[in-house]
Amino acid sequence: MAKSLTAYLDELRDSRVWRSIFRSGPGQSNLHHALVVQSNVFLHLFSVKARKRVLDFSVTWYLGALTFGSFLILVITGVLLMLYYHPAVPLAYTDMKDLQFVVSSGVFLRNLHRWSAHAMVLLVFAHMFKVFYRGAYRPPREFNWVIGVVLLLITLFLSYTGYLLPWDQLAFWAVTVGSNIASAVPVFGHRIRFLMLGGNLVNANALLRFYVLHCMILPLTAIFFIAIHFWRIRKDGGLYAGTPTTVTEKEGER
Amino acid sequence: MAKDAEKERHEDPDGGLNRRQFFVRLGLGSLAVAGAGTAVFAYQFLSPNVLYEPSPIVNAGKPASYPTDSVTLDPATGIFVVREAQGFYALSAVCTHLGCLTVWKPELGIIACPCHGSQFKPDGTKIAGPAPRPLPWLRMWLNDDGDLMVDRSNPIAARQFVRI
Amino acid sequence: MSDDKDFVAGFDSNARKAPLRVAFVTRRTSPQVKVTDEEQLMTHPGVFFRVAIAVELLTIALVTLALLWDAPLEGLADPMHTPNPAKAPWYFLGLQELLHYFPPVVAGVLIPTLVVIALIVIPYFNINIQAESLWARDGIGRVRIVAVVAVVLCVFLAVFDVWVALVPTVIVAVFMFVAARSSAPSVPRFRRWLYSKPLSFWIMTWFLAEAAVLTAIGTFFRGPGWSWVWPWRS
Repeated sequence: MAKSLTAYLDELRDSRVWRSIFRSGPGQSNLHHALVVQSNVFLHLFSVKARKRVLDFSVTWYLGALTFGSFLILVITGVLLMLYYHPAVPLAYTDMKDLQFVVSSGVFLRNLHRWSAHAMVLLVFAHMFKVFYRGAYRPPREFNWVIGVVLLLITLFLSYTGYLLPWDQLAFWAVTVGSNIASAVPVFGHRIRFLMLGGNLVNANALLRFYVLHCMILPLTAIFFIAIHFWRIRKDGGLYAGTPTTVTEKEGER
Repeated sequence: MAKDAEKERHEDPDGGLNRRQFFVRLGLGSLAVAGAGTAVFAYQFLSPNVLYEPSPIVNAGKPASYPTDSVTLDPATGIFVVREAQGFYALSAVCTHLGCLTVWKPELGIIACPCHGSQFKPDGTKIAGPAPRPLPWLRMWLNDDGDLMVDRSNPIAARQFVRI
Repeated sequence: MSDDKDFVAGFDSNARKAPLRVAFVTRRTSPQVKVTDEEQLMTHPGVFFRVAIAVELLTIALVTLALLWDAPLEGLADPMHTPNPAKAPWYFLGLQELLHYFPPVVAGVLIPTLVVIALIVIPYFNINIQAESLWARDGIGRVRIVAVVAVVLCVFLAVFDVWVALVPTVIVAVFMFVAARSSAPSVPRFRRWLYSKPLSFWIMTWFLAEAAVLTAIGTFFRGPGWSWVWPWRS
């Protein structure tokens, strides 16, 4: 007798192996839905229940989630691109040509990485402005705003270090100008530039340093601060949903 | 617990330390020294000691290869070799604004930077644009073979010509 | 007269049966007022499915872009030849435009540092926490102050030839004047919404407008040598 798919799934979830991994067993009750969140190392960052108001599109435009989503796309495409990229001069440039013409899906991955990078910068700015305009930075959420500014800076540095890696004219001169701006810092400017480039000129050392920054140091720093950023949302009482509409109408009346 | 806290606050009448305070200070002091040492070693590690960069000294060739009243850009080394009636001199071709390579525009008689529009006279003084300083004159001399030599790491005061 | 408290205290009529204290928070000072009767739903699947859809839509959009448009790749890096113009990525073009007017120390170091510091300290200043309208108290006096500040800012920008930055300054000032005179209930809803906005809103909007204008100029209106070009003519 043919069983429905749901019945098969329920049987699977009732099996000994499945229960040993996921522990929640079959069922669609609130208890089971709660267990999905609570017994998962990644998902238990969330609360078991969420306020419905916060999930309206107009409240946040989901900008924070979208920023994180673009970050995930960047990490995945970035790691894949790393498999065909040598951070050496001038091999880096020929590798870009390879990715474009020789590597299967190379041009797609490179394009996706590039457009996701632009999208992430745009989204992180939009997220910041949206949080500001709806007042979600106010106490007790002040420090999360500061963490957010730190994440904004990390995002800009990630984009900037990544910009050099193709080693084309655009990359080289953008970094030349940028490093000269760094040398404009009073007192320490030239030393900062020397450390940044690993030398006096934008050459092989600079490429390698930017590569390590872009692929290792800054992503780890970003993940570290993203974790704090999400944690603080819980600790500060969940996403700020604004006051109910009956109060906001009275705002201008004082 | 209360006794330990009491001990910490109990000081010698003549201002000495008790044993706990001594060890706490010793520990924190060692940590501070270790931290400072780590910072120094980290800075030294991050600053490369060997650079694979070209030498700043440039051989610009024989003087005779430069026509009179000419401005010649050598893009590989980033210098202008200028021959005027009074003699030779060398300018850095790196724009003093943000490091772009300038170009010589013979039809306009100026040196121009493509990045933000800075303009310089052939003697390096700034005519227009956001560049903060004139293009520096570089030390130039004749070597034993009669070649013009330029030291890019050695800017000199302006209007010092090399006469041949 | 004592200064306005942020709350008014009241009592339940049946204080013995239901000994509650009720405090009405009358000014929007902090979002810590908890509303207990909120409608909730289960995170799984409520939140997860919504977020998954949002991220899926983003992915579809980005994949479409990636399939249709190639990321740029110019010639091999050549230290001997500076391209003309040499432009930074779009999010730095606003800064590069500022570099045209101010020395690198100011436009490249000072202004970005001040902007970052200003952003970080926003939530620690009371003026950003109170959400009352800028014109609620001493409206006429504040209009005068805004006028003076706007004029001083425009003069400062004109002195440094930053003509492009005058445009958003003037536009925001005009909107502020319109807002100041929009308190009456007969005025259209948008103007009343403008009237309700605090000072922090106007400062941030001015900053956003300036950033947008400078970035747009750097992207479309600057050509070789960072000279001015009209994009429809090139």
